[in-house]
Amino acid sequence: MSKPVILCVDDEAVVLDSLKIQLKQEFGDTYFYEFAESADEALEIIDELHEEEVEVFVIVSDWLMPGMKGDELLIRVHEKFPNIIKVMLTGQADDDAIERAHHKAHLHRCLHKPWDGKELIETIKSGLATL
Amino acid sequence: MPIIICVDDEKSILNSLQMELVSALGDEYLIETAEGGFEALELFEKLLEDNYEIPLIISDCMMPDMPGDELLKYIHTISPKTFKIMLADQTNTDAIVNALNHADLYRYIPKPWDSGELILTVYEAIKSYFKDQLLEEQNEALKEMNTTLQERSETLVQTLDNLKATQQELIHSEKMITLGQLIAGVAHELNTPLAAIRSSVENILNFLKALEQLPPFFQMLCSEHQQDFFALLKKSIQQTPLSSKEKRQLRRTLVRQLNEHAIEDATTVADTLVDMGIYEIEAFLPLLTDSKSETILEKAYQLAGLQKSAQTITFASERAAKVVFALKSFARYDQTGKKTPSNLIEGIETVLTLYHNQLKGGVELIKNYTELPQVMCYPDELNQVWTNLVHNALQAMSNKGTLQIDVALQDNQILISFTDSGPGIPDEIKSKIFEPFFTTKPAGEGSGLGLDIVKKIIEKHNGRIKVDSIPGKTTFTVSIPVNPNEETCHV
Ligand SMILES: Nc1ncnc2c1ncn2[C@@H]1O[C@H](COP(=O)(O)OP(=O)(O)O)[C@@H](O)[C@H]1O
Repeated sequence: MSKPVILCVDDEAVVLDSLKIQLKQEFGDTYFYEFAESADEALEIIDELHEEEVEVFVIVSDWLMPGMKGDELLIRVHEKFPNIIKVMLTGQADDDAIERAHHKAHLHRCLHKPWDGKELIETIKSGLATL
Repeated sequence: MPIIICVDDEKSILNSLQMELVSALGDEYLIETAEGGFEALELFEKLLEDNYEIPLIISDCMMPDMPGDELLKYIHTISPKTFKIMLADQTNTDAIVNALNHADLYRYIPKPWDSGELILTVYEAIKSYFKDQLLEEQNEALKEMNTTLQERSETLVQTLDNLKATQQELIHSEKMITLGQLIAGVAHELNTPLAAIRSSVENILNFLKALEQLPPFFQMLCSEHQQDFFALLKKSIQQTPLSSKEKRQLRRTLVRQLNEHAIEDATTVADTLVDMGIYEIEAFLPLLTDSKSETILEKAYQLAGLQKSAQTITFASERAAKVVFALKSFARYDQTGKKTPSNLIEGIETVLTLYHNQLKGGVELIKNYTELPQVMCYPDELNQVWTNLVHNALQAMSNKGTLQIDVALQDNQILISFTDSGPGIPDEIKSKIFEPFFTTKPAGEGSGLGLDIVKKIIEKHNGRIKVDSIPGKTTFTVSIPVNPNEETCHV
C-alpha cells in the first residue's frame, strides 16, 4: 500500500538535500524518499522498511563516507535484496571499488560528482525500467 | 751545472782566478771567464737565455771598457738573484759604494787576494744563493697553495650556495608532490559544493519557469489563509539543520498528529513539512485541512525551496572558497624570507581542510586546542610541517584510526603534537627517520625527505621536534618558542 522508496546515502547533508529536490521535482509523489548519512543508517532504514513491507526500488549511494564505504554497502544490500537498483554517486572514483560494485552488487551505474540532474533522473528511470 | 763567471781585463789574473775556483769547485760548477765588461754582459745574457743558473759573478773593478761597478749594476737589473763579488783595492771606494748601493754587492775582495779567503767567500755566497733560492721556492709554493686554498674555499662557498638553493627547491618540490597526492581529495572537496550549487540553481530555474502560476494562486487564498501561508514560510526560513535520523523521527511524530486530524496522505504531507522545517502543526491546521491543502503545501514547499537553495549556494560557495584559500596558501612559495606574525592553529586548520576528504574516510579527529598568541614565523613553511606530520600519520594508519592534535602553551613554548593510532616506529629505525632520504615506504609513496624538511623548518624557528612511539600510539611533538628569534630584533 505504501509507496515504493528511493533511498539516498551520503555523509554530506547538502548532497542529500540536492538529491531530494531533484527527485521530488521529477517523480513527485510517485515515490517516497528516504535519506541516510551513513551506510549503517542506510542498512537500518532498509531493514525497517522491509519490516513495514515497504519496497525499496532504488538506492543511490556515495562512495567515500566515514565507516563503511559505498561499494561495501551496495554489496551488502545486494546480498539481501538483489532486486534493488543500485547507483553509485562518487566524487572520487576508486576504480577497484567501482569494479567490485559492478561485480558483486550488480551496480546499475556510477555517476560522478558534480552530477547533472538530468543524468541522475535518466539513470534512475533506466534502472526502474528493468524492474 | 750552475755557472760562476769571472771577469778581469788582465789575462793572467783571470787565469789564476779561474784555476783557483776550478780546483775548489770544479766538480760542481762550471767556471766561465770574460776579459771585459761587454764580453761579460754578452756571455751573461746568453747563458741566461739558455736557462743556466748563475749563482755568482766575480768582477774586477777597474776595466778599460766598463768599470766593474757599472757591470754589476747592470747584471743586477737583469738577474737580481745572482751574487756579486768585486775585486777591488782601497782606492776604489767610490766604485765599492756604488756597487753596494745599486748592485747589491755581496763582498769586495782586495787585490791581491788571499786564496783561502776568496774560496771561503765564494762558498758563502753560493750557499746564500741556494738558501735564497730555496726560500723563494718555498715562498712560491706557499703562495700557490694559498691561491688554491682560496679558490677552493670560493668553490665551497659557491657549492654551499648551490646546495642551499637546491634545498629550497627540494623543499618546494616535496611540497608540490604532497600537493599532487592531495589533489584527488581536494577535487572531491570542491565537487561536493559544486554539485550542491548546481542542483540549487536547477531548482531555482525550475521555479522561475512556473512563475505565472503564482498570482492566481494568491488570489485563490482567502486573506486569513494568506496570513497563515506567510507565517508558514517565515517559520520555514528559520529552520535549523537536522540529521536524517532526527528528520525521520520528526516525520513519524507528524504523521501521527496528521492522522489524528484526519489529514489525508499523512506521510507525504509530513515529509514535506519536515523538509520545510515545520515540526509543529497546530498553527497551520487551517491550511492543512483546507480543501486545496495539496496546492497550498506544494507552493509553500517551492517557495521555501527557493530560500533553501539560496542558503545552500551561500554555504557551498563559502566552503569552496575555503578550500581554494587553503590550496592557495599551501602552494604559496614565500621568497621574501621575512617572518610574519601568524596564528599557528589557523595553519593547522588550513591543512586539515585539504585533508578533510581523506580524514572523513575512517579517521576520528580529536582536537585539543588552546588559544595561542600570534608568533613571528614562516607560516607557509610551518604549513608544510603540519602537512607532513598529518600525511605521515594518515599513511601509517592506512587512513583508519584516530588522529589527535594537541595544542598547548607552556613556559613561553608552543607545544603542538600529532598522535596517531598507527603501528608505530620500530626502535631500530627511530634514530634514522629524520635523516634525508630515509624511508620505509615504496617508491612513489615516500621520498624520505618529509621529516628532514620538517626538522629543518622547525630549527629555523628555533624550535624542536621529538617523537614517542609505541605500537598504536605515535606522537610527534613540535615545540616552538613564542618569541622564536631574538635576532630578528637586530635586523
Ligand atoms: N606517524 C608515523 N608512524 C610510523 N612511522 C612513521 C611515522 N612518521 C614517519 N614514519 C617513518 O619515518 C620514515 C620517514 O618519514 P619521512 O621523512 O616523512 O619520509 P617518507 O614519509 O617520504 O617516507 C617513514 O618512511 C616511516 O617509516
